[in-house]
Amino acid sequence: MRGHAHLVASYIAGNSPFHRMALWRKAVLLLAVAVLCLASPAISVTLGVIITTAVLIAAIAAHGVAGLPWGRLWRAVRIMVVFLVLIAAYQWWQHGPATAWQVVAAIVATVLASNILTATTPVDELLDGLGAVVRPLERFGADPERFSLTVALMLRSIPFVIGAFSDVRDAARARGLERNLMARSLPVVIATVGYARATGEALAARGLGDPELPGEQ
Amino acid sequence: MNSIVLESAGVEIPPVDGTGTAKTILRPLSVTLNEQRIAVIGANGSGKSTMLRLLNGLVLPSAGTVRVNGLDTRTHGAAVRRSVGFVFTDPLSQLVMPTPLEDVELSLRRLKLSKRERRDRAESILAAYGLSHLAESSVYELSGGERQLTALAAVLAVDPSILVLDEPSTLLDLRNTKLLHERLAGLPQQVVMSTHDLDLAAACERGLVIDDARIAFDGPASAAVDWYRESVG
Repeated sequence: MRGHAHLVASYIAGNSPFHRMALWRKAVLLLAVAVLCLASPAISVTLGVIITTAVLIAAIAAHGVAGLPWGRLWRAVRIMVVFLVLIAAYQWWQHGPATAWQVVAAIVATVLASNILTATTPVDELLDGLGAVVRPLERFGADPERFSLTVALMLRSIPFVIGAFSDVRDAARARGLERNLMARSLPVVIATVGYARATGEALAARGLGDPELPGEQ
Repeated sequence: MNSIVLESAGVEIPPVDGTGTAKTILRPLSVTLNEQRIAVIGANGSGKSTMLRLLNGLVLPSAGTVRVNGLDTRTHGAAVRRSVGFVFTDPLSQLVMPTPLEDVELSLRRLKLSKRERRDRAESILAAYGLSHLAESSVYELSGGERQLTALAAVLAVDPSILVLDEPSTLLDLRNTKLLHERLAGLPQQVVMSTHDLDLAAACERGLVIDDARIAFDGPASAAVDWYRESVG
């Protein structure tokens, strides 16, 4: 299967202020970005445009401070371009250019901020963080380890599914079936189910998800 | 010394609609595996993988029992999996995390180490396998051999006493196959592996030939390989 790992924001080792920052601080900053971008237009459109633009500039600057490659920033935006154009066109038509810019800038700023968080935080640390968030729910039966592992698996599966789409599309083209919806979708479903089965078996084989044994607490 | 005991252990799949006859995947077999290096060889679909999956409770026997160091895989599955590491044919389905370093760390989470200890230990394990330079690469960017070594490192990180490998060299080129042979040869663990690589099989102490869901030959590995070659014709 062709690799599409670049489509998922994986960790990039470094020693920037963001790499050294505690996960919870980064999560608070990300939340602040989202709240500023979403809430500011509720006060006024002009204020929303000013604040969102400032937040977007800050997110781009933070990307530089984090020492992340600029190509990565572009890739994060590129995969959304079609949706951004459609959203901008709709907002322009409905509410004018200022709102169109504010909405698009808000989406890009939020995606960039989340990209910085995942790029400067090892997955292992993210798992610990997610586990800590879920831990208070343990008394209601929630399993923090299992929850964080599920999120990790979800992130891990995205490149596979995208890769399966690419491989199946190429195979359909090679057989002259590029317009056949069945030939382009059914193998993806089968491959994805097979992948899920294999992953489940691998997790079981590694004892991930097994209950803790006495003495392991 | 480890002891794996299969007593009349067989695997059948019941008919999907509840009627008709069950499909036999592995006929009831009784065998004790004590040797340090055991090869399981045979044709595709003969039941080799099912037999290996019995050894760590991935598949439970429909009849009979499987005991690993005295623990029944049916009643003590989690404890058995603690002592039996399993390496699959396709390492990509086994590597759960985005990078080798994170995948080895995932294995180590069970040991309840501090973050620093977990990271240090994962780094030293990868270094021991010559994978330090790939520690933070995407698992999708690794070659087949690098992925297989990473999967092996992740499984051995928690120090199982038995290692089961299901056709570990099937997807590897000659150079990586040789590298895998060298790594396996140096392991202190008991190793049970299915393989189509008859050189690798012949280097083991004991060989089992599985044919038509039963053990057709059980003896010294070199004799098992000879028997298998002759049976294929």
